Amino acid sequence: MELSASVTENIIIAGDSAFIHDNSYGQLVSCACKGILFEENRNVIENNPAFKDIDKDVLKAAYSGIVTLVIEAAKHDSTAENLSTFLEDCKYTVDRISTFNKIFLSQKSHIQLLLGKVGSSFPHIVDVEWRLDYYIKSNNLEKIDSAVYLINLKTEEPDEQTIKDIQFSCTLEQLQDLVGKLKDATKCMEKIAQV
Amino acid sequence: MEEVDRIIVHSLRSIGCDVEDDIQSLRQFGTELIIATVVQCLKVILGDIDLPSSLPPGMSARFRLGASLANHVQDLGYKGGDLGYQTFLYSNETEVRKIFMFLVEKLPKESSQAADEPIGASVLLQRAISTEINTQLSMAWLPSFLKDKGVRNRSKPPGWQIEGACCLQHYHSCPVFIPKSIGNISNKVPKELRSYYIKHLPYVTNQTNLHRDLAPSIMEANSLEVAVSQDWENEWNQIGLASRLSQQEFKKRKYEKLLKMIKDRLQQDSQLQEKIDSQTAISDLNQILTNIETQNKTGNVKTKGSRFAHTEKLQYAKDEEKTMSQIGPAVPEKDKDTEEELEKKRKEEVDSLRTELSSITAGLEKLELEVKKFSTGRQEMEEEMATQKKSIEEKNAAYKVKKRTLDLLPEAEANIEKLQQLVETSSQRLINLSKQWEAHRDPLIQQYNELSQLNSKRESEAEKKLEEIKLFRNKMKEVADDARRKEELHKQLVSEYERMTKDVNRSAYTRKILEIVANIKKQKQEIDKILVDTKSIQKEINSLTGKLDRTFTVTDELIFRDAKKDEAVKKAYRFLAALHENFEQLISTVEDTGVVMREIKDLEEQVEIESNKKVLSNLEKISVDLQQMKKENATLLAKVKGK
Repeated sequence: MELSASVTENIIIAGDSAFIHDNSYGQLVSCACKGILFEENRNVIENNPAFKDIDKDVLKAAYSGIVTLVIEAAKHDSTAENLSTFLEDCKYTVDRISTFNKIFLSQKSHIQLLLGKVGSSFPHIVDVEWRLDYYIKSNNLEKIDSAVYLINLKTEEPDEQTIKDIQFSCTLEQLQDLVGKLKDATKCMEKIAQV
Repeated sequence: MEEVDRIIVHSLRSIGCDVEDDIQSLRQFGTELIIATVVQCLKVILGDIDLPSSLPPGMSARFRLGASLANHVQDLGYKGGDLGYQTFLYSNETEVRKIFMFLVEKLPKESSQAADEPIGASVLLQRAISTEINTQLSMAWLPSFLKDKGVRNRSKPPGWQIEGACCLQHYHSCPVFIPKSIGNISNKVPKELRSYYIKHLPYVTNQTNLHRDLAPSIMEANSLEVAVSQDWENEWNQIGLASRLSQQEFKKRKYEKLLKMIKDRLQQDSQLQEKIDSQTAISDLNQILTNIETQNKTGNVKTKGSRFAHTEKLQYAKDEEKTMSQIGPAVPEKDKDTEEELEKKRKEEVDSLRTELSSITAGLEKLELEVKKFSTGRQEMEEEMATQKKSIEEKNAAYKVKKRTLDLLPEAEANIEKLQQLVETSSQRLINLSKQWEAHRDPLIQQYNELSQLNSKRESEAEKKLEEIKLFRNKMKEVADDARRKEELHKQLVSEYERMTKDVNRSAYTRKILEIVANIKKQKQEIDKILVDTKSIQKEINSLTGKLDRTFTVTDELIFRDAKKDEAVKKAYRFLAALHENFEQLISTVEDTGVVMREIKDLEEQVEIESNKKVLSNLEKISVDLQQMKKENATLLAKVKGK
């Protein structure tokens, strides 16, 4: 976990009892977690009575430090030990470290979910519809007599709420080839899982 | 033996020998496999030796390989019987087992060393990925409409996971502003900035337009700052330190260099463009250039003092004029737009104002100089006055003394005596006082000395304690680091231990060893019992033979005495002798049969051992190999002759 100098400075401010009192510190951490997680709580810190004694500039600095720390710690999947060593270096007391760990670790998986939502992906297949058609003849050929699969893949795409369709037709051999490729991919995943 | 074989096979597999899974005992080992495993063992034990790991096709090469293997094994200190190429090429089970037992014992115990080294981060990451994929693979498929925006609840390990792509959002970030150096006392934030922080800056979670851009924005801001500081550190270490400038100077120089480069490039381009393009582009460029100039100026104003900055500003203004005049001709004079004229007018106005300003500042400077001169003159005068006052006081004192002596002059002798008396009394008083002073002084000095000693002692103690505290601090840090490292190692080892396949169970081995020991004990007891039995039987036999001898001699004597008198008794005596002889023969035959039986048993055992040695098959192999060798020799000879 790498944090820049100004962020570390702000984290130290948040841990300094000269700036943030012991009883408002826990509120600060939980406000940071809420502000990251929920849109309706993004400004929950603004009019919180717990912080009315604290200078606004100090509070803003400490808040930004804690927010950055929470996001980075969730990103690196930090454990309680890692966090305590880091916070010890920032001159945190044992009480404050345990408060932070308690609040953060209970929210870590949620924040990780939130972070996991950032990114792009190929269309994700969730379902498939298929139909087997039989061509008898066309205007060019009197007799075709071949089977054709009509495949319709239902996919999810990033930033799209609705499910999209990918349609194609293929012969039996092509379909077998596709199935073989899919099986290969599954095997590949299993191989990775076994390491 | 099977147990031993299994241990050997396992340890051979663990050093990377290619032993197939269905091979469980050494009996199943073929010549090829024996050679390959022995070579692998030697490679592990000796490090680098030049041996082919597979059996060469040529017979002579095989022979050489076998011989060199035997040499290597004997060099390691093998003492079990004679070792040669035949041991490997025409193997028998017991010898091969002996050799493998020896080699496995000689294998370096590297497993314990390897465990001490911590595993790299990439390996840990890979493992985490594989366990995650494993858990996800082991879960049942769930239709997408059962998941809330692609988030799926899972029970083992408890938590959530994202499936599908419908909930994903593209990475999009916007700049966030974080208050800096609030807690830093030495580097105070300007008042205006502070009031902006307090009144207007929104909280960091409220700065992005969309809430979902928050996490990317914050991560980007953090990593950007980290990357910038790393880059700067690299540059400073590589180039900056060598230039022997302070950090600020180095930065300033770099900034100026960059600005100059941009300016030069823009000027060149504008000169090139002059012929081709219309004037709008040129005026744009013009603006950019002036922008750069003003930036440069403001940058300097910040760093320098006010008056100095002022003069510099003027200098820069001159520079700017130069560049302006350079660029000025670039603007075609034919078409005189109103804007152009206005600008020119403005320029002229600015110029006139500047000259006025410079003249005024020059006047100001002159005036300031004069003020300085005057103030220095005033100081000098004040000093002189003070010295004069001092001399007046001294002269007054001298005058008073002289006046008194003059008053005393008329009655000189009486006055002299008075004065002498006065002097004596005062000198006496002085002596008294000095005595008193001494009396007071001694204890005070002693006290002072004691106190100062105490003080110095205390100081030294305090210093010592400080040093101790420092030492303890360092030790604490070290110990904490150590503990942390050890904890990490412990975690790794625990995870490793959990991951380890436990096919070779230690406890099972120990149990088996204990069983074997118990078996051996039982066997020993039985052997002892049998020995006791045989001894008792031997004793019985001995006593019986003794008894027999004694009874025989007794009866012999009795019958012999009577035999002289009676003919029938004589006959009986002869019968007795015959009986005795016959029985003796019988006993000796029984003993002989026993010996023969034992011999038979020995021979049978030998036959078994010999048959175990696969002599016949080996013989066949040897003869085949011999023929092949002969063939090879023949071909070689033919080749030689052909040449």
